[in-house]
Amino acid sequence: MSVNKTAAGLTLAASLLIGAAAGAQEPGITDKAIKIGIFGPLSGPNMAYGFDVVNAAKMYYDKINKEGGIHGRKIEYVVEDDRCNANDLVAAVKKLVEQENVFMLNGGSCSAAVVAAKDYVVRNKVPYLMLNASGDGALFPPTDYIFGAYSISQYAVGGAMVEFAAKQFGAKNVAYINHDDAYGAWNLEGSKKDAEVNGVKLSVESINPGINDVTAPFLKVRAANPDAILLVTYARPAALLIKKAAEMGFNKPIILSVTGTASLNQLAENVGKDALKNFYTQEVMVDSPGGAKLKPIYDMYKAAYPELAAKPDHPQTYMPYGIPPAMSLVKALQDAGPNPTREKVLAALKTQDFDSGVMAGRMQFGPEQRAANRSTIFIKYDGTTMAPLPGVFTSRWTYQAK
Amino acid sequence: MAVALPVFTSGYVVYIANLLLVFVVLCLGLHIVIGETGQFSMAHAAFYGIGIYASALANRAVDLPYPVAMLFGALVAGAVGLFIGTLALRMRDIYLALATFAFGEAMQWVFANWDSVTNGPNGLRISPARFGPIEILSDKQAYPFVLFFCLVMIGLTVAISRSRLGRSFRAVRESEVAAMAMGIDVRRARIVSFGLSAAIAGFAGGMFGLFQTFIHPDSLGFQTTILVLTMVVVGGLGSIAGAIGGAIVFGLISEVLRQAPQYQEIIYGAILILFMMYAPRGLFAFIGDRIREARHGR
Amino acid sequence: MAPPPFPDLSIGPDMDLQLALIFLQQGIASGLVSGSVYALLALAIVVIFKTSDVPNFAQGEVFMAAGYVALYLFVFQKMPIWVVLPATLVVAFLAMALFRRFVLDQVAKSAKDLVYLVIATLGLSYVLKGLVRRTGFGDTPRSFPALVPTDSVMIGQASVTMLDLAIFGTAVTVMAAFFWMFNYTKTGRAMRAVGMNPKAAQLVGVDLRRCHMLIWGLSGVISAIAALLISPKILMTADMGSIVMLAFAAAIVGGFSSLPGAVVGGFVIGIVENMVGLFISSRAIVLAPFLAILIVLVLRPQGLFGGKLTIKKV
Repeated sequence: MSVNKTAAGLTLAASLLIGAAAGAQEPGITDKAIKIGIFGPLSGPNMAYGFDVVNAAKMYYDKINKEGGIHGRKIEYVVEDDRCNANDLVAAVKKLVEQENVFMLNGGSCSAAVVAAKDYVVRNKVPYLMLNASGDGALFPPTDYIFGAYSISQYAVGGAMVEFAAKQFGAKNVAYINHDDAYGAWNLEGSKKDAEVNGVKLSVESINPGINDVTAPFLKVRAANPDAILLVTYARPAALLIKKAAEMGFNKPIILSVTGTASLNQLAENVGKDALKNFYTQEVMVDSPGGAKLKPIYDMYKAAYPELAAKPDHPQTYMPYGIPPAMSLVKALQDAGPNPTREKVLAALKTQDFDSGVMAGRMQFGPEQRAANRSTIFIKYDGTTMAPLPGVFTSRWTYQAK
Repeated sequence: MAVALPVFTSGYVVYIANLLLVFVVLCLGLHIVIGETGQFSMAHAAFYGIGIYASALANRAVDLPYPVAMLFGALVAGAVGLFIGTLALRMRDIYLALATFAFGEAMQWVFANWDSVTNGPNGLRISPARFGPIEILSDKQAYPFVLFFCLVMIGLTVAISRSRLGRSFRAVRESEVAAMAMGIDVRRARIVSFGLSAAIAGFAGGMFGLFQTFIHPDSLGFQTTILVLTMVVVGGLGSIAGAIGGAIVFGLISEVLRQAPQYQEIIYGAILILFMMYAPRGLFAFIGDRIREARHGR
Repeated sequence: MAPPPFPDLSIGPDMDLQLALIFLQQGIASGLVSGSVYALLALAIVVIFKTSDVPNFAQGEVFMAAGYVALYLFVFQKMPIWVVLPATLVVAFLAMALFRRFVLDQVAKSAKDLVYLVIATLGLSYVLKGLVRRTGFGDTPRSFPALVPTDSVMIGQASVTMLDLAIFGTAVTVMAAFFWMFNYTKTGRAMRAVGMNPKAAQLVGVDLRRCHMLIWGLSGVISAIAALLISPKILMTADMGSIVMLAFAAAIVGGFSSLPGAVVGGFVIGIVENMVGLFISSRAIVLAPFLAILIVLVLRPQGLFGGKLTIKKV
């Protein structure tokens, strides 16, 4: 810790020395404003993951501006659509960096796509804070420029679930259904440590997100006679599996990961209340979506976007996820002092540690730690009421240099 | 003028230009098989992907100038293309379309699941291309090379088209029976056109590796095949100039559409439908016709 | 609800014969249910292909959009179900018939090649997907409430729901009705004539334009029925049209121009999907239809039911 502080101090001192000369050249900074680039999926099939997250970040910046900005400067944001697709995301990032000359980046809702921008961002030394993407592929091995997983590191998702199954239900034999994509590979890898420590045996089935008939994977999982089923999938396959479990009379706990909980009401409508008799969902926020602890953020959204808020399904479930990254960015800029440079901001980020009031765990970075959140809570949901269970469950996963 | 592009504009514009040039080459490849030979191929993204992965892996494995890796990518894709061409001999039209489509989807699955080679769903990092001592680290640096290789491919496609081989392709397109009567080896022409088309797509994959640092299986699906097909069709099926122009015009439209996110799919679909209804010979023929009408008619 | 009697066994190389038998029975039962819907969609594709030579790449999106029309009327407009069902079918019929009449006829007039018609259908698929996404209802997976209870019943050692049985029964009934229409009514005979030789059909007094509109419209109706049947089971998203791949695979397995072939193909694909998942790997389930297409086309291009492969091209 102290070494780290010294290092930060040194970089700070060094940048102060050259600050006078370099300050004028820092892109995107004037006396009045700091220009940042926001991007997320504003169209296409993955819009639900980022549209309102972008809106949340925007409204937070607007609020900061209304309160006088950061050291007298207003935040000026440019928004680009990345369609959650690698090529488009890289195009958006390059446009923001080279054409709009932004000071720093804040964007990305889809993990697979943000990884595509990694080398470019590092080469150009642009501070990049993700939005709600967990983006572990871009966070690890750690670089000086990329920070993320404000919602949760995908590596920590599975581990926290295993921890919960073991602690809450004493489960020893756990079925683990994940996807055959990047998310799936990461959360399975991350869960191994917690499974080992808790002496839990995992029976893994990896399925494609586009699956229509889940009979086969469910039967295989069922044949292993698990004490609990962990569903680390997206919303649609998760609903299909929960339905199938009810049809086949499975009555042990089913625990759904945060990636599959886009809308719990919709889930209840989709699977029927009978299927949710022994059902738990993972939540990375301090409270269930729309819960009392998050009310100020929902009120803020309603005030900022009255038209959107009147539409069905808005704000989207992931909306509050846009707040912690925006807070992190604002905090880093504040900590960088009245003459911010990219170097100062990056140094501030590396030691950042704050409570967002939105997420279950503190937002903590460190010398090797680039994933802000690794903690989750669990909610018992029976189709009508969401009852948060006591306790925060944190994955044991840490980055190990290979 | 085009050569000096990097001097005048931002890296973003150069990146878009690089991407467009890669798509020009992809269109040339598809032109060979659909435009010249009249064979329905719906697996272009797969050959492109094979080229990307093969050249990236070759580049990482051996310390040779990047063009060697690009040629390797083209060869691997071409070999797979020849194989598919042989299998496809018995099929026509819609059967061929569906078989190649299925092959494309299966390849995307392979890219995403063959972890030990492609790094599976995590995507593959592409290490920087090297030409001797020069290492390419930015779009602006890559641009002259991308442009050069694109021009080479245009030259190659024109040469093929004008050669005996090209004539045999077109004879097969017009009528296989007549081509056979003229003494053309129809089987050979079909297989070779598949192989060439795939090799060119694979080469485009190598060009992609010049300026991109990452490839993910998600971007190698049917969407990409359809994008290339649309470009060829918008430009005008059967003409090399059309394939090139289509890539540029439609590529720019697609990038501009990023500004109108809410409507892009609808606009995209409407363009396809309207072109098929009123300008099936492509944008340029359509404009030419209108100009001629304006001149002669009243 | 009677849970199936599961022996306490782990899967692996020592997979017990009894467990394999349960897998087999359940896989076939569930496969027949999903297969019946794939079969319906395959039928919708093949009937168009038989008569217009066009593989309709928008069939999946027509299916998806029809599902959303029903969802919108039923869940958001709260209309009674006896209005919703016919209204959905009418909308699907009109959309497809009008697309045939105003778009494809124009395309056919200005270009001779098949590829142009195919691309026009691809265009339609994009437009429909974009429209549904514009509404905002496509964001989260939704379900059209099941009209039949989802209580389980045991058939042998396989557990199926009442809904499953209803889906299977309806699909088979619709297919039977369609066969009867196609084979034994005057309209059906006209359609078959158009498929065999449009010019000759015209000479004997068939109104080609009307006949094509009718076929496309009916194909839309069949897709809409498929959507109504399966959406309680697979949940609706704007991307649910991708299920059409399974239908294409079914059609290919069945020979692509044979109606009974398409139906059998649907059942085959439904079962193969489960068998691959159960006995090979869950990851390979999505690959099954594509492998089926490739294998059938390479080894027996005319499908299991197609007659001799005819070269139509002049």
